[in-house]
Amino acid sequence: MSAVAGRPAQELSATDRIQTEIERAIQRNVKGLEYLASPAPAVGSSPKDVIYKRGTLNLYHYHPMSDEVYRVPLLIVMATSNRGYILDLAPGQSFVEFLLRSGYDVYLIDWSPPAPEEKSLRFEDYTLDFIPECVRRVRRDSGVKDLSLLGYCMGGVLSAIYAAIHPKTPPKNMVNFTTPIDFASMELFAKWSDKRFFDVDRLVDTMGNVPGELIFSGFEMLRPASRIAGQLQLWENMWNEEHVKSFRMFERWSTDTLPLAGEYFRQTIKELLWENNLYKGELLVGGKRASLRNISSPILHVVAEHDHIVPYQAAKSLIEQAGSADKEEVMLKGGHISLVAGANAQRRLWPKLDAWLSVRSV
Amino acid sequence: MAEAPSKDPAAVWRDLVSQWEKNVNALANQTMASDEFSGTTNQAMNLALKMQQATGSAMATYLATLNLPSRADITALGERLQTIENQLSRIAVALEANPSVKRGRRRRSPTKSGRPPRTKQPPSLVTP
Repeated sequence: MSAVAGRPAQELSATDRIQTEIERAIQRNVKGLEYLASPAPAVGSSPKDVIYKRGTLNLYHYHPMSDEVYRVPLLIVMATSNRGYILDLAPGQSFVEFLLRSGYDVYLIDWSPPAPEEKSLRFEDYTLDFIPECVRRVRRDSGVKDLSLLGYCMGGVLSAIYAAIHPKTPPKNMVNFTTPIDFASMELFAKWSDKRFFDVDRLVDTMGNVPGELIFSGFEMLRPASRIAGQLQLWENMWNEEHVKSFRMFERWSTDTLPLAGEYFRQTIKELLWENNLYKGELLVGGKRASLRNISSPILHVVAEHDHIVPYQAAKSLIEQAGSADKEEVMLKGGHISLVAGANAQRRLWPKLDAWLSVRSV
Repeated sequence: MAEAPSKDPAAVWRDLVSQWEKNVNALANQTMASDEFSGTTNQAMNLALKMQQATGSAMATYLATLNLPSRADITALGERLQTIENQLSRIAVALEANPSVKRGRRRRSPTKSGRPPRTKQPPSLVTP
C-alpha cells in the first residue's frame, strides 16, 4: 500500500487522491476475484463442548480462557430465529471470547432448525422444560447453585418468561439485550400480522414449522434498501480486507435465519402480537401467569438507539415492570445486531456488561 | 456555520448511498404500514397456502394409493421418536438424581479437576 493511503482524505492533494483511488480500484478488482473464489470465513470457533442436546436444543460449555473464573457461571439464551455464532464471530471479534478472557464461565443455549416433528413446541416447552433443564445441567456441571442468565432478543423474552414463572428459584443475575415486551409498539410487525388479514392458523396448519426464508423476509422488509446499500458499500470497500471479512461474517449470519416451530410461532402471533399479553401481565404459560413483576433478580437491559427490529418503545417495559430492586436500563448507540457484535459492540456494550456483571458474579 | 462540502469523491459517494438508503427505507416503511399493503400481501400468501394445501392433500391420496408413506406419516413417526427421546431424557435425569449413581459417576470421571478455580474478583474490588 502507498504512503498516501493511510492519511485522512482532507490532507491529500488532488494528485494523491487520484493515486489512492487508482490503487483502490486495482485492489477492488484483485480482492473482488478473491471474494468470489474464497469460502466464507469460519465462525463460532471458540473451543466448546456440547454438554446437552435434544432436538432443536443445544447446550454448549466454552473452554475457560483465564487462570481463574468468577464464582457464578453465565448461561446465554440465544434468539430462537438466529444462530448463536453472532456472539462468537471470529477470534478478536467474539463476544464469547471476550467473556472467557474476562474470567466468565460461559454456557450457551443455541438452537438448531426445529425438525418437522418439533412443530408442536410451545412457550411451555422452552420455559418449563428446555431452559430449566439447561439451568439444572449448568448447575451440576459447574457445581455452583447460582447462575446469571443472559438473553438476546427473543432469547431475552424466553429468559424473562422463565424468571417470571419461577419466582422461587430466581437467577442470581439477569441480563437482557434488546428484548421486546410491548409488542404493540413493534408497529410494522403488528401491521403485517393484523388479525383482519393474517391467517396464522392456515399458515401453521399448512407449513408445520414456519420456514426460515419467511422469517428472513420479514426482517429484510423492515429495511428493504439496506441490502443493496450494503452491497454498494462492500464494492467501495473491497480493497479493505477487514471490511470484507466482517461483511461476509454478518451477511452469512443474517441469511442463516432459522425456521420457527409452528405452535411457538402461533403463540407469538396470538399471545404476544395480537393480545400483547406479556406486556399486560396476562400471559399464561402452563397455567402459570408470567408477570414480569415476579422477577426479583438484579437485571440489566441493554437497548440499541437505532434498533429497527425492536424499537425502544417495545423494549422499555422490561425495566419498568420488573419487580427487581436492582435494575438498570442502558441505551447504547447502534442497531439490533451491531449492539452485540462488531467494532462498536467491542467499544460500547462489552465493557459496560463486564462492569455490571463482574461485581455481581462473585 | 455550515460545513464545507467534502472534496473527497468517496465521501460524496458514501453520503449519496446513505441518503438514498434512508429515503427508500422511509418511503417503503410508510407504504408497508398501510392496510392495503397488509391486505394484499396476506391475500397472496393465503392463496399460495390454499394451493399448497390442495397439492398436499392430492399427493397424500396418491401416495396412499401406492401404499407409500406421506409426509404426515413420516412426521408422525418423528413425533413418536421425539416422545421416546424425551422419556429417555427424563429417565437420565431421574438416574442422575440418584445419589448412588452420582457417587459412581464422580469416581469415574474427575474431569472438572482441570478447571480453573472460581476465585476471580472483579478488577474494581481488587486492591492494588
